[in-house]
Amino acid sequence: MVTQSDELITARALTRHYGNVVALDSADFTIGPGITGLLGENGAGKSTAIKIFLGLLEPTSGRAEVLGSDPRRDVEIRGRLGYSPEHDCLPPGVSGADFLTHMAQVSGLPANHARSRAADTLRHVGLFEERYRPIKEYSTGMKQRIKLAQCLAHDPLLILLDEPTAGLDPGGREEMLDLVRKTYAEFGISILLSSHLMNDVERTADSIIVLSEGRVVEEGRVSSFTTETESIFVEVDENQQEFVAALSSKGIASTTEGPTVVIRDVADDGYDMIRDALAESGAPVRRFGPRRHSLREVFTDDEQAEAPEPAADVEQAR
Amino acid sequence: MSTRPVGQVFDIGYQRYEGPRGGRAQARTAIFVDGVKAALGIGRGGRAKILPWLFLVAAIIPALVMAFVAGLMDRSGVDVDLPTHSQYYGIAVFILFLFAATAGPELLCPDRRSSVINLYLIRPLTTEDYVGARWLAFLVVMLFATWLPQLVLLTGLVLGAPEPGVYLQENWLDIPKFLGAGFAMALFLTTLGLMVAGFTTRGGYAAAFLIGLLVITTAVVGPIASEPGIDLEVRKFVGLFAIADIPLQLNNIIFAEPGGADILISNATREYSNLILVSWYVLWTAGPGLVLLWRYRRLSA
Repeated sequence: MVTQSDELITARALTRHYGNVVALDSADFTIGPGITGLLGENGAGKSTAIKIFLGLLEPTSGRAEVLGSDPRRDVEIRGRLGYSPEHDCLPPGVSGADFLTHMAQVSGLPANHARSRAADTLRHVGLFEERYRPIKEYSTGMKQRIKLAQCLAHDPLLILLDEPTAGLDPGGREEMLDLVRKTYAEFGISILLSSHLMNDVERTADSIIVLSEGRVVEEGRVSSFTTETESIFVEVDENQQEFVAALSSKGIASTTEGPTVVIRDVADDGYDMIRDALAESGAPVRRFGPRRHSLREVFTDDEQAEAPEPAADVEQAR
Repeated sequence: MSTRPVGQVFDIGYQRYEGPRGGRAQARTAIFVDGVKAALGIGRGGRAKILPWLFLVAAIIPALVMAFVAGLMDRSGVDVDLPTHSQYYGIAVFILFLFAATAGPELLCPDRRSSVINLYLIRPLTTEDYVGARWLAFLVVMLFATWLPQLVLLTGLVLGAPEPGVYLQENWLDIPKFLGAGFAMALFLTTLGLMVAGFTTRGGYAAAFLIGLLVITTAVVGPIASEPGIDLEVRKFVGLFAIADIPLQLNNIIFAEPGGADILISNATREYSNLILVSWYVLWTAGPGLVLLWRYRRLSA
């Protein structure tokens, strides 16, 4: 039964054991339209939850419903789901166009429709020009994009992405996250994004579910976690050091985070002094405003929050 | 001066799909069609086509030679017993084994080696659907490989006969018999070949195992079964393990030639009742089929 209701996925007391190991422990949550981030460390239960939602695993106890059906019993429902696994899952000797056409057919589309959908989807992910090249010649970024394409080709209602930025360089990661965002914003396809990278989830997701040792420890809108702080941020295109020095000469302490200068505990006359410091240093302002808490600061202690996030994923599939 | 119409390109963007969805039936069909293509190297590179088509042609050559010689003898008036449909599988069994050993793994091994299987099993498809569609695809390919040479032989025999109509009238029963014997051969090789392929991600290993099984059982059973000094009961029993003989025993039962068509590694085993020989065949066909299913159920769990 395919529904357009507000609940795309429902987990009720969802529990899964692997022998003595408890992978999911009475997890209760619902996932609605939009982009939902499923965040958790290695072994938190993310992959197990996804496998249950895809009908690959039977829960030990509890119940999972996807698009209003039990995915284990209602195989047809999987025709409205898409899934991109974390690890490599692409046939090396097949062209991108042939692969996508075949996958759309396996998802239930007739051959002629599958072919045109494959071409459209390859265009969407930016691989149209490369569609006749064998996949083994694709770069890591292109492979991630065709993994996304194969779960969009049959026009699903919901897609589940497992670590979609795994193995990508910073540029490729930005492009992939933009593509994920665009997939919901422009096409209305809801997404469950499983990741251990808070920045990825914060950048893309509307809602978040945090798993730890198989239990749901936090759940809600991302905006409710990332509330405004007492600090302000100023992002400048150049002359950052001069700007920091100008602030310092006025007795204003600041820290830098990449191109951003963060100024904490701004006094009443602080905004005028920042304006003057900008003018003195000649630093062109790109963005400026109250700084919000990052998810990292919310879910980790300060010491950990200072450490940079790993660029590549470290989580292994169960 | 008239102005020429100027074409415009519109980016219509991503469109939602409102067309038909075939669901599980469509998914099974797609896996089946892809399986047939994979076995024959269709839609793959040139190298993927070499082995399957080489062995297919090799399987037809004995049939062509048999038809040519039969026609020659008929026309020259020489009265000799020439091999015909009942003997063909005995002659071609090694080639058909080689075909099954090299083509069969192409249906299963690459999917697991590249992990595409993970994408199949989350689509509107059960594990049984996947394995069943692949199995059926290879069965169809194996039927093509086993029936085509017999049809070539039949065509040759009919055209080579002095009176083709009379030949067909007198020998038409050969047609259902070779179709049945070919089906038994195809079913056996399909199931055994795919079961072996289910245990490795490397097609080469699966092929080597199946060919090794054929060569070793032939080399070990052959000398024992044909040694008159050994007790008949021992020779009969050992002969059961000549892997190539298992489908050929059914061939002999179907053609019902007295004493068999002399195509076996172990003729002594023909002494067993038809019930035992058919049961042995069923065991060697249903057993690998169930093992294959069990293997994939475990993989998807």
